[in-house]
Amino acid sequence: MRRGNIKVEYRRMVFRNSIIIVLLTLVGIGSSACRKKVARAANDPLNQAYATEPNWNDPDKVIPLNYQETQGQRVFYQYCVWCHADSSPAGPSNRANLTPSPALMNDGAKLNGLSDEYLRNIITLGGSAMGKSPMMPAFGKTLSQQEIRAVIAFTRAIADPPYKRPARAGSQYSAR
Amino acid sequence: MPAEHRGDVSNRLRVIYTILTVVFVGVLAISPIRDHYAQWKQYQKKYVKLASARANSKALMGDFQGGINQIWLPKLKVTDRCTTCHLGISEPSLLAESVPQPFRAHQMIPHPPEAWGCVVCHRGQGLATNVQEAHDTTVAWERPILPVRYIQASCGVCHKNNLPETPKLDRGRELLVKYNCEGCHHLQGIQGPAMLGPDLSNIGAEVTRAWIYKWLKQPRTVLDKSGNVVTDGYEMNPRMPQFRFKKGEIRDLSAYLSSLKSPLKESSKIDPRVAADWPNQSAMLSYGEFRFRQMFCTDCHSLAVVRAGMTELIGGDIGPELTKIGSKVNRDWLISWLRDPQAYLPHAVMPRYTWSDKDLYAVSQYMLSELTDPDLLSDVPKLGPATASEIKNGRLLFVAKGCRSCHFIRGVPAQKDFGPDLTDEGGKTLSELFFAQAKIPHTLIAYIRAKITDPVSVNPAARMPQFHFDSADMDAITTALLSMTGTPTNPGLASLIVPARHPKFDPAGKFGKLFNRYKCFDCHMFNGFGATLAPNLSYEGSRSRRQWLIDFLKDPVTLRPTLTIRMPQFNMSEKDAETIADYLDMVMQSPQVDFSTVNAKDFTPAMASLGKQLYEVKYECQSCHTIGASGGYVGPALTNVGNWMNAAWIEAWLKDPQKLVPDTIEPHREFTDKEITALTAYLVTLRQRGKAGDGGAGR
Repeated sequence: MRRGNIKVEYRRMVFRNSIIIVLLTLVGIGSSACRKKVARAANDPLNQAYATEPNWNDPDKVIPLNYQETQGQRVFYQYCVWCHADSSPAGPSNRANLTPSPALMNDGAKLNGLSDEYLRNIITLGGSAMGKSPMMPAFGKTLSQQEIRAVIAFTRAIADPPYKRPARAGSQYSAR
Repeated sequence: MPAEHRGDVSNRLRVIYTILTVVFVGVLAISPIRDHYAQWKQYQKKYVKLASARANSKALMGDFQGGINQIWLPKLKVTDRCTTCHLGISEPSLLAESVPQPFRAHQMIPHPPEAWGCVVCHRGQGLATNVQEAHDTTVAWERPILPVRYIQASCGVCHKNNLPETPKLDRGRELLVKYNCEGCHHLQGIQGPAMLGPDLSNIGAEVTRAWIYKWLKQPRTVLDKSGNVVTDGYEMNPRMPQFRFKKGEIRDLSAYLSSLKSPLKESSKIDPRVAADWPNQSAMLSYGEFRFRQMFCTDCHSLAVVRAGMTELIGGDIGPELTKIGSKVNRDWLISWLRDPQAYLPHAVMPRYTWSDKDLYAVSQYMLSELTDPDLLSDVPKLGPATASEIKNGRLLFVAKGCRSCHFIRGVPAQKDFGPDLTDEGGKTLSELFFAQAKIPHTLIAYIRAKITDPVSVNPAARMPQFHFDSADMDAITTALLSMTGTPTNPGLASLIVPARHPKFDPAGKFGKLFNRYKCFDCHMFNGFGATLAPNLSYEGSRSRRQWLIDFLKDPVTLRPTLTIRMPQFNMSEKDAETIADYLDMVMQSPQVDFSTVNAKDFTPAMASLGKQLYEVKYECQSCHTIGASGGYVGPALTNVGNWMNAAWIEAWLKDPQKLVPDTIEPHREFTDKEITALTAYLVTLRQRGKAGDGGAGR
């Protein structure tokens, strides 16, 4: 009888302990597996923008700019804005003075059809080299190629109607 | 134990152990299985799929390395495993926005990620290998990713000087100076001269108690979109914030301030015959307005005007808005201030004009009777004379509200550290911030923005007054504050800090006196010191001929026809103009311009006519420059350039304008030497008044 008791108790103990071990292990793994999910901030495109530019045709709308486009924005407002916008930081624009009238930099209808390469050439070499008005000076010695690419990227970003990049591998923006 | 029972026990135990073994094997397998399905492995599989579908898959796959990748830079203490998932970070062909994250290439920046790591700029946890731990705030990591919107803050951690690449950061720092945040807070890297509010030691002589009451109550006018007044204040965009006063406090403060009154130092007397000279009031006022405009007061002061149904401010923001000045200041004070601003306020940035009594009378009359708002003080209660107890309370309030941080009053001691120290605010972790009951996301950025937008929303006992910033300025200030992360704990970064430069140009002697009297540095730049409102004069002596300078200083002609901001007429004497011209001529010289190499006598009419052709036909310079009545508005008018500029300067300018003035708009053209000589020969023939200069030695 005594032996039987020991045997039964021993059996119970082993059973109880193994259940506890299994449960503890499961609880441990389960708790580490259940990561707390934090809601990520709503994906506001302006949160991912290096800088912004108001839409020229609708100043209430804001266009997000990335790093390259922001550098283009700076170059544009220093060198190009005087003739390629209808108002300038100093007041009125020189655009109305000129014939032929220079393109507005956000004129998608006019600029979207021109390739990046064409724009890069006309900025680098000037109007007369491309069979256009000599009033457009050559900026190849004033701006670096990187700055010229940035201005083009800025133009594309503010284009209205919006610019769609042609699906083609090896974009010029490799820039490296 | 009887033998027949032994089998039972071991059988049962065997069953239990078998089950347990299976369970344990299962449990042990969880870890490798989880590891197999780790986020980063999934991303790497996706990347392989993406890379092999692209045209340059061979190159992409050649660069691909499976497993945990890291950028390890011991000197910078960088160990960033971000590239484990951000696999295309240095692949130029993956730059397009159509490439899904996390595989897109990084924008071309001056500090490429391979050389600087990621966390140095983006924050987050570089060692982590799952999305949440790397990007977000977790229990163990309180430095979450900085949204790109504020990323320029990271440039400012090391670059204490302004950079052309960081417009938002630079604007934020400018605002911190403009609103004198340093008056109450310690800030990092803001070493520019403080922009204090006016000295109030003698304010009672300038304005009435009623006006002070109005100003303290509501400094700001707000209009809605259709131009209706929503908030009726004094200025449209004042630097003065709005304080939260309890009942009676404005009464006390206005009593104290209006009691600060001593006799004016400069004469406010104008010969009565001057006033009697005018046939009628309206002729005098319109002359006053004419002179007000001619002196270009609006270069520094703004006026609210209605244009096409919209009310807008035109003019500069160096001095206060003048739209309602006539309803603010005392007549005697205005006249004595205009005569000599520094006599009233030694640190005033307003230049001292030379006034005739006629001008002073007409201009002050114009300001006092035309620039007014008759209803301005209609909502101010009747205040009566200030009582002694009001004055006493007002003085205590002046100190308790922190007014002394921006406004000097003789005899009131300065307070140190009125507001909290913000030198490391931008690097604080969540546990260092106290959100109280504020219903805002618990992030550093939300905290900073809430503190600026509405200080009491976070801390009901906040003493900070209410400022008003638009959303762009809000972003800029937040960025600038985020850049203040205290002394870097990372010694690798500490040695890389680029300090801000604050060049000083402080001439002495006769010129020094005039330089400080006319405040040339309010608008012009001199060897890196000054402002960018007007042309850089560091090389003015190389550019302009002495006689032209004298004529210009006495009667500034418009060189850029469309500019709304122009050189004011200071009514300078011949002697003053000569002193300034002599100094510029002798000292402000460029090493790039050598007068001995160009002799204007060598120019022949044939060269000039070739130059004219180049100007008009080949290069169409008239698209930007005006000669006579026709031409463009971008560059200065060249009608009188022969009298204005030295031939040697013109040659050097045409060769490389950026070498003389680094950020000038004029593009650097590819002229041949012959073309440059011809253009110079043509330009020096353009003379308006046929005076000035001997034509020799390029001068």
